[in-house]
Amino acid sequence: MSHHSAIAIPARDRSMIPRLTATVLVVDDEYLIAEGLCMQIEDMGLAVCGTAATAAEAVALACLHRPALVLMDVRLQGDKDGVDAALAIYDEVGSKVVFITGSREPATVARIALDHPQAVLYKPVSNSQLIAAVNAAIAS
Amino acid sequence: MTFDHWLPGAALLTAPRLGQASVLDAAAVRAGGDTVVGVAFCAIACALAFYMRRRPDMGHRWMAWLIASLLVARGLTLLLSLPALWAPIQSIQGALSIATALLAATTTVLLWQMIPRITARPSRAELARRNEELAAENAAAALAHQTAARARDELERRVAERTADLVDANDRLTEALRVAARAEEDYRVSFEGSTVGKVQSEPQSGRMIRVNRAFAAMLGYTPEELTGQPGKDMVWPGDVEEQQQDHTAVVTGRITQYVRERRYRHRDGSFVWGRVSASIIRNRGGGRPDLSIGVVENIHEERKAREALRVTLLDLERTVEERTAALAQRDLLLREVYHRVKNNLQVVDSLLVMQSRALTDPAARAGLRALRSRIFALGLVHHQLMGSGNLQTFDVAPFLTELSRNLVQSGPVAGIDLAVRADPLDVGLDFAIPLGLLVTELVTNALKYAFPVGVGKIEVRLSHAADGVLDLAVCDNGQGYEPAALLDETGLGARIVRGLVGQLRGTMTIHQEGGTQCHITLPSPFPLATAA
Repeated sequence: MSHHSAIAIPARDRSMIPRLTATVLVVDDEYLIAEGLCMQIEDMGLAVCGTAATAAEAVALACLHRPALVLMDVRLQGDKDGVDAALAIYDEVGSKVVFITGSREPATVARIALDHPQAVLYKPVSNSQLIAAVNAAIAS
Repeated sequence: MTFDHWLPGAALLTAPRLGQASVLDAAAVRAGGDTVVGVAFCAIACALAFYMRRRPDMGHRWMAWLIASLLVARGLTLLLSLPALWAPIQSIQGALSIATALLAATTTVLLWQMIPRITARPSRAELARRNEELAAENAAAALAHQTAARARDELERRVAERTADLVDANDRLTEALRVAARAEEDYRVSFEGSTVGKVQSEPQSGRMIRVNRAFAAMLGYTPEELTGQPGKDMVWPGDVEEQQQDHTAVVTGRITQYVRERRYRHRDGSFVWGRVSASIIRNRGGGRPDLSIGVVENIHEERKAREALRVTLLDLERTVEERTAALAQRDLLLREVYHRVKNNLQVVDSLLVMQSRALTDPAARAGLRALRSRIFALGLVHHQLMGSGNLQTFDVAPFLTELSRNLVQSGPVAGIDLAVRADPLDVGLDFAIPLGLLVTELVTNALKYAFPVGVGKIEVRLSHAADGVLDLAVCDNGQGYEPAALLDETGLGARIVRGLVGQLRGTMTIHQEGGTQCHITLPSPFPLATAA
């Protein structure tokens, strides 16, 4: 995922989208998964401000775009995980966070619970689950 | 008067020596007198003899007889003086006189000899006086006797009392001795006959004073062979130091007793495990130790069994640890696999989303949406597996609930009530995936065909129909649709349903009755677990 490595110029910076709607930051180190989520978000009529593959990217983009919502994977490239990123974003920006994880390990679930998550979705995430969680998070 | 006058006999005896003047007259007178005297003498002698005969108890009888003989001899002499007037019998008279003289002399001598003896005897008065004295003495003696008798009675009474006390004390002592003997006997029987080893030792030297058969036999000896031996010689060398420490501790009173498992030396050179309980008996006052008492139980077999058990347990623990580690490793790998499967399904889902965007044909997009539902079912199975304790099976009820709810929420119409009821049933991957796909197809069908106005109810039910048989029912209260849509149509959904029912060895029936009721009867995946 070399195209994610440059923080200053994210590969998928969608910040040019007019801020008529709430923006969403998608964090996942699998390109295809991130892309699929982005498309579903866009199909909901929301704007994706960017995607990130690492915790550092995620925090940088969140600080840059101040998204209303972050879709956050737990396992990320690099030494920090999604929970670290989400905590930093919560402190810096205050964005809502919906975790999307493939794991339901107790340790992971416990770490997620530290971070005031709006919701936790487990992969594979159905379209209806995603719509319900995102709508609930933005509405809250 | 002369002595002669006073004693006629003597005068008579001297008469013949008178002169021859006036011989005849004088001689006659004298003869007459002599005769009378002679008769009298003889009479006296007779009287004396008579008296002596009548009183045989009279003492000194020989003297009486002597005197009687003297009187007779003199009497005869005098009597002869009368015939001598006429007859010349001077020779006879002379002989009699000589005899008389001899008797008189003899009598005189003997009489004088006898006097002291006779006078030595008390007189009557003396006897009377002495009798009185004796009587007085007797009276005094009687008084003394009486006093003595009283004293004796008192003494006897006290002796009797004391005797009674002694008898009582003796009885008590006897009873005490009997009890003690009984106790000793009981102890002996319990000591000798015990099946548990018993040892008594001298505390200072540690020498065994008394051992019972059980203890000796435990070590391959007889009691006689062990008596007198130092107790520590019977302890296995490796345990001697500990035994000595224990012994010192009880002898010094630092501890009152101890119980220890210890090895003893068997005669054959092996060791025998014993459990010894040892204590000390001290002399009265709790001072010097008098006797060491040890009770030794043979626990060799028990100990061996324990040791074997310990080894087995260690092996078992190690095996369990290994297995647990292996299981943990396996669990880790399984979770990782499930995680990756879920991630890959998410990738597939994303690809479908992306593909769908590239399509414009509504039918094609609908097909991809249906495909996403099936992908979700597969993902949900793995999600349930990941959350189960054994990573192999999970309860079907929450799975069916979440699966159905997601389908209804994703469906084309919004006003559909969903009811899911499932009996508790553990299912594994092999059963859950076809079951989940079946439910996905049937619910999707109902959503697709039953509710043209968008309002209705769908019920999903999985229950135990009979032993080892499950009934899966997906029912709706919609308008009903052609069974052909499910059974005969060559569409993808229908083929999937028929294929999966066959894979699960089930049968399917469809009723149109106030909606569509689709029943699939299939064997339970774990009949035994279900029965339980």
